[in-house]
Amino acid sequence: MVHQHFKLVQCFTVLDNIILGVEETKHGFLEKDEARKKVVALSEKYGLKVDPDALIQDITVGMQQRTEILKMLYRDNDILIFDEPTAVLTPQEIEELMQIMKNLAKEGKSILFISHKLNEIMEVADRVTVLRRGKYIGTVNVADTNENELSRMMVGRDVQLVVDKTPAQPKDIVLDVENMTVASKLHNNNAVKHVSFNVRQGEIVCIAGIDGNGQTELIYGITGLEPVKEGKIIIDGKDVTNLSIRERSAEMSHIPEDRQKHGLILEYPLDYNMVLERYWQPEFTSKGGFLKKDAIRKYSDELIEKYDVRSSQGSDTIARSMSGGNQQKAIVAREMSKEHKLLVAVQPTRGLDVGAIEFIHHQIIASRDAGDAVLLVSLELEEVMNLSDRILVMYEGEIVGELDPKKITTEELGLYMAGAKRNTSSKEAE
Amino acid sequence: MMLLAQYTIIFASVLSLVALGGCFSEHSGVINLGLEGIMVMGALGGAVAMNLFPSTNAFVMILTTVVVAVIFGMIYSVLLAFACINLKADQTLIGTAMNMLGTAVATVVVRSINTSTDPNNVSTTLQYVDQKKLFLVNINGFEFNWFMIIALVILVASYFVLYKTRFGLRLRACGENPQAAASVGINVYKMRWSGVLISGFLGGLGGIVYIMAGVSEWKFEVGVAGFGFLSLAVMIFGQWKPHRIALAALLFGFFRALSNVYTGFDFLAALNIPSQFYNMLPYIISLVVLAFTSKNSAAPKAEGIPYDKGTR
Amino acid sequence: MNQTKKSFLERPGVQAVGAALICVVLGLLIGFIVLSLINPAGAGEAIMTILLNFMTRATTAAQLKALGNTLAKTAPLLMCALSVCFCYKVGLFNIGAPGQYEAGACAALFAALALNLPWYVCILFAAVAGALLGAVSGILKAYRNVNEVISGIMLNWITLYICNMVLSSEAVKDSTSPYSKDLSQANPSSIIPSAGLGNLFSGNKAVTIAIPLAIIAAIVVWVILNKTKFGYELKATGYNKEGARYAGMKEKRNIIVTLIIGGALAGLGAAFLYLTNYTKWETTATSVPGMGFNGIAATFLGGLNPIGTIFASFFIQSITDGGSLIDRMIYPSQISDLISGIIIYLCGFTLFFKYIMTKNKAKRAEKKIKTEKTKEGGNA
Repeated sequence: MVHQHFKLVQCFTVLDNIILGVEETKHGFLEKDEARKKVVALSEKYGLKVDPDALIQDITVGMQQRTEILKMLYRDNDILIFDEPTAVLTPQEIEELMQIMKNLAKEGKSILFISHKLNEIMEVADRVTVLRRGKYIGTVNVADTNENELSRMMVGRDVQLVVDKTPAQPKDIVLDVENMTVASKLHNNNAVKHVSFNVRQGEIVCIAGIDGNGQTELIYGITGLEPVKEGKIIIDGKDVTNLSIRERSAEMSHIPEDRQKHGLILEYPLDYNMVLERYWQPEFTSKGGFLKKDAIRKYSDELIEKYDVRSSQGSDTIARSMSGGNQQKAIVAREMSKEHKLLVAVQPTRGLDVGAIEFIHHQIIASRDAGDAVLLVSLELEEVMNLSDRILVMYEGEIVGELDPKKITTEELGLYMAGAKRNTSSKEAE
Repeated sequence: MMLLAQYTIIFASVLSLVALGGCFSEHSGVINLGLEGIMVMGALGGAVAMNLFPSTNAFVMILTTVVVAVIFGMIYSVLLAFACINLKADQTLIGTAMNMLGTAVATVVVRSINTSTDPNNVSTTLQYVDQKKLFLVNINGFEFNWFMIIALVILVASYFVLYKTRFGLRLRACGENPQAAASVGINVYKMRWSGVLISGFLGGLGGIVYIMAGVSEWKFEVGVAGFGFLSLAVMIFGQWKPHRIALAALLFGFFRALSNVYTGFDFLAALNIPSQFYNMLPYIISLVVLAFTSKNSAAPKAEGIPYDKGTR
Repeated sequence: MNQTKKSFLERPGVQAVGAALICVVLGLLIGFIVLSLINPAGAGEAIMTILLNFMTRATTAAQLKALGNTLAKTAPLLMCALSVCFCYKVGLFNIGAPGQYEAGACAALFAALALNLPWYVCILFAAVAGALLGAVSGILKAYRNVNEVISGIMLNWITLYICNMVLSSEAVKDSTSPYSKDLSQANPSSIIPSAGLGNLFSGNKAVTIAIPLAIIAAIVVWVILNKTKFGYELKATGYNKEGARYAGMKEKRNIIVTLIIGGALAGLGAAFLYLTNYTKWETTATSVPGMGFNGIAATFLGGLNPIGTIFASFFIQSITDGGSLIDRMIYPSQISDLISGIIIYLCGFTLFFKYIMTKNKAKRAEKKIKTEKTKEGGNA
């Protein structure tokens, strides 16, 4: 099985990861020569380029996924399961993967492809089985159905697949990033290299790119989770480059990439989480340092109502026990309600079902229409094309393209994401 | 000088053995803070063996002592394994409990043994003067202890087991990414039990070596005077790798040895530093070393996190 | 949203007490078995002695005096337990509490005997000494990522030797014995006042205002953790360091402050004992005093709740004292240490059981609501 979250041991080599569990041994000692030959042969046969002696922590996400695929092929499995494999691939790599899957099927292997991306399902699958909330809904032949029908099966009602939005009317610059460089934690180089761009009121700018090209560090630099080596960050006219996270967040809301690591304190109840960034304000803390629990509860109840956050015990629910979708809704509720001129949303719909995605997209558009500047980071091509007013493509730490979603095709976007094409973005573009 | 070298090597042997024990356990993903307790139990086992089954044959005596010591150590480590692996208890807490328990149990047992042989003997000391002599071989004035060889052999063996065998690969996988190991069919629970039992084995062995280092009797009330934790510091400084653990052990062993023999060095005696300072030295050195090496520590990624099949 | 009613057995307070009782009973049971193995004849009497402690004395007056002694030693134990409890809430295992305790003892006795200061200043010295030691662990953890357990243990031993050195000086150490001087002779003003409490316990001079002070400390710790902004930040840092950072909390500062407070608590605990002149410091001590480690037992037995810790501390001290009353010709007094050790070990499991119970219940409740909603014709 190729897992959605790779099951690889970071400090082992590619070869060790592939043979783990089915190692060849002689009196208990590892024999890697035969294995190495087999891996190289498989790699060439299926066009899956890997370096057997590289450590997983040093290679790209793409190569990591190829390692996962080789793990399956090495074991001569007849049933291959691909769990959400395309999140980390460029459009071209997705094409190649689709082709590999079709070839494997032709060889007689059975392929189980798990995905929520309707266009991919339509392209590569023969039959589709839909599950909703753990229940079997139905199986259809791909030839007999379409995307709208599939989404209706998935959610139980008609879902608006394409977002309705009026054209953007951007005003003043809210976020101005100048020549920002952020060091990489894993390697010796910089993850973000001399990046400059801006975001205005009333527009949604989306940072597109393959996972691992510096988007995470870019956001960390802007929000303060990582220090910036060089450059300036200006929010609403104020230079926040050297300010603490709390100081710079006065006008910035941040929906983080990892909701469990950054977005919530899972052991805290929902109401404590709702005031995670505001608990210190006079509204929630008295002068003597005591928490105003009633005020906190009231605020939390309001947000739960307004944003339809579902939980077993309301404001008392321990966040850990909530579903991923509702955890994300809680974070969205909190960040939207906090005072802000800039909304930073990183992969806000990751891991959510189509209904929740629709809800959050609406919230983001509403935020933009209310005059906020929205900086969106997304790995989902559809989301990027649908939501953004302006696309900035990141490749290996640099912005390699500034694109208008109305004027380019997915294929072209893919080329930029793969680093095959660039146009220099300039601040004077408007 | 000879004495210093002797003490250094024997203390280094203890530190290596116990550090390797901690290493195996942590490589499998279980933090073993109960090494102090395991050492005490191993020491108890060995001391009891020497007293209950005395022999004049060196080989028999060594074998008996070692076997009983490691068995005691392994049985005691079951407490850690069961609590932390099967019941997912907090590993730090259980380890601490085992340390307290170990010293208390050993004290109670020794007291009872002493009192049963002589109702007036209420001490917590066991002696093994004659038996200890069997462990020593005198070569050119250097008092050479069989345990030093045992420690060296185990050090080398550990390197091979961890990095060259299938068992070692799988063990390390369980400590780095147990979900990955489970996904290829490895039984993480079994692997972690192995890791902890091995640490019980090595810890118990280290315990008996410790109480025999340079003395012929041991007052069990004091436990092992923090040596278990010094071994953990050695393990961290050695970055969980046997060859580096050996070097770290020599370093720490040297300082510990110094506190035993500094009076023999004229220039040190002349400095008139109080003996307490020498006692403190190994611990101070550990702190300093840890302060500099912990920042970029390459600990096994999944250590300390109880493994739950259900989590992704 | 509807609030599901919690049944009696599911209330966290009840669970905690229940879990503690199970640990205690099992601990005593195992202790009894060990005693029987040593000498079956007197085992029953011995275990009852341990359990009943002061109540086994002959007269009421003697009982009160013995109870007074136990209370006098509960105060420092409680402070150590609070130290561990407070730090644990922030995700730090303050196993350095014994070292901070030693530092406190050292500072208090030095201030009393060498500097001739009155008790309230000596107490301050003790708190500061403990706090400084805690700060070392805290800084090492926050800035150098050194595990606070190992740094704590190292500091425990280093402080022991420093203590011995400092307290061996002429001003402090009694010239004829390895102990520190008798406070009532050398500097009576450094003894913590009794304020009449001693009279309640048959004139036991060891019973001082330290005891109510310790209880007040427990209440203050509870209030800080549960009612204040500071407590909110500390617990958040303990649960999820990264999340706390995201929320703008200064987690490095919080770690250091927490260990400083923990150190101060433990240091005060030492002052609460040594400044009553009940015991003296043995300058040839070769092992770290057990008070700090017993504090760990008391914390977990108390369910990591400051108020529960009050009762747990009394219990642990009581069985420790009871242990010293049993026939030492037959049984070793370390039996109480054994029982304490078993109790901590068992406490390790109870946290797990409680977690499992809460997790399952919440998930089942959420599912129940969802199915109810779909029945009403709801949707995503």
